[in-house]
Amino acid sequence: MAYSVLIVDDSPVMRSFIRRVLNMSGFEVGECTEAGNGIEALAQLSAHRVDVILTDINMPGMNGEELLRRLSADGTLKTTPAVVISTDATNERIVRMIELGAKGYMAKPFTPETLRDELERVLGDRDAARA
Amino acid sequence: MPPELDQQSSLEPASTPHQPGRLDEEPTASDTIRQVASEVLEAMFFTEAELAACEHAWLDPARCAGIRFGGSHFGEMLLGVSAEAADPIAASFLGLDPMELTDAQRGQVIQELTNILCGAILSKLWPESKLALSSPELSPWQEWPDAGALHHCFVIPEGKLGISIRLTAG
Repeated sequence: MAYSVLIVDDSPVMRSFIRRVLNMSGFEVGECTEAGNGIEALAQLSAHRVDVILTDINMPGMNGEELLRRLSADGTLKTTPAVVISTDATNERIVRMIELGAKGYMAKPFTPETLRDELERVLGDRDAARA
Repeated sequence: MPPELDQQSSLEPASTPHQPGRLDEEPTASDTIRQVASEVLEAMFFTEAELAACEHAWLDPARCAGIRFGGSHFGEMLLGVSAEAADPIAASFLGLDPMELTDAQRGQVIQELTNILCGAILSKLWPESKLALSSPELSPWQEWPDAGALHHCFVIPEGKLGISIRLTAG
């Protein structure tokens, strides 16, 4: 099964890198779309659901924290798992983002394999919850 | 991009002025910089970094970026990438041929590398801290003669790379 992915990051080169690593990882990627901040992400999600969201934290307009709050508060979108990708690997930050609703957290640097493993874990948890 | 230093009021300096520490007195700081540089270059830029002697003539024409950090610790970090290494590193990060790179991409990749290195170094040095980073900015290389700063040069197959990091008053 190929999964649809939404990459949310204000850095165009980081979005390109994540897309590249997804393709290198062996994770089965179907449609892969991009957004530059939380506002763009929510606009895309209102028209088109995805299987998983990969989001940065700090972005202009709407940051990753607010995006997680909006996703958790949305009856339709709250079941779409979000994984945070950040340079910040401090314990406080990770706990905070999980409390806000993130289902996974990837600290940079990460390899294609660790990204694939995290996505498979998160999507496995989602599928188990639906069963 | 990292959590933004300038946008987080909770991470503003305390009313009592913060006294900068000395990174060269942190027992694990030097090893952490070496380890993180190696991990970041290998995992995300698909190249290898080894510690090298510091001969800084190459830094004048290098592509450089600076970043500030705040939270539990305040300071700044500089990254320099030798001119001949900048394009191969950016191309490797993006999976492009060096001839396909735009000027914007060249700069953005150096900024992203600065961001990743700084966040990873600080998270590893102080995992229980609060961390906020500014947006990285392209800037000329600066030599920091002050005591307390840490600096390392690395050789990579494509050229050279230099990292300086120091704590500052909050």
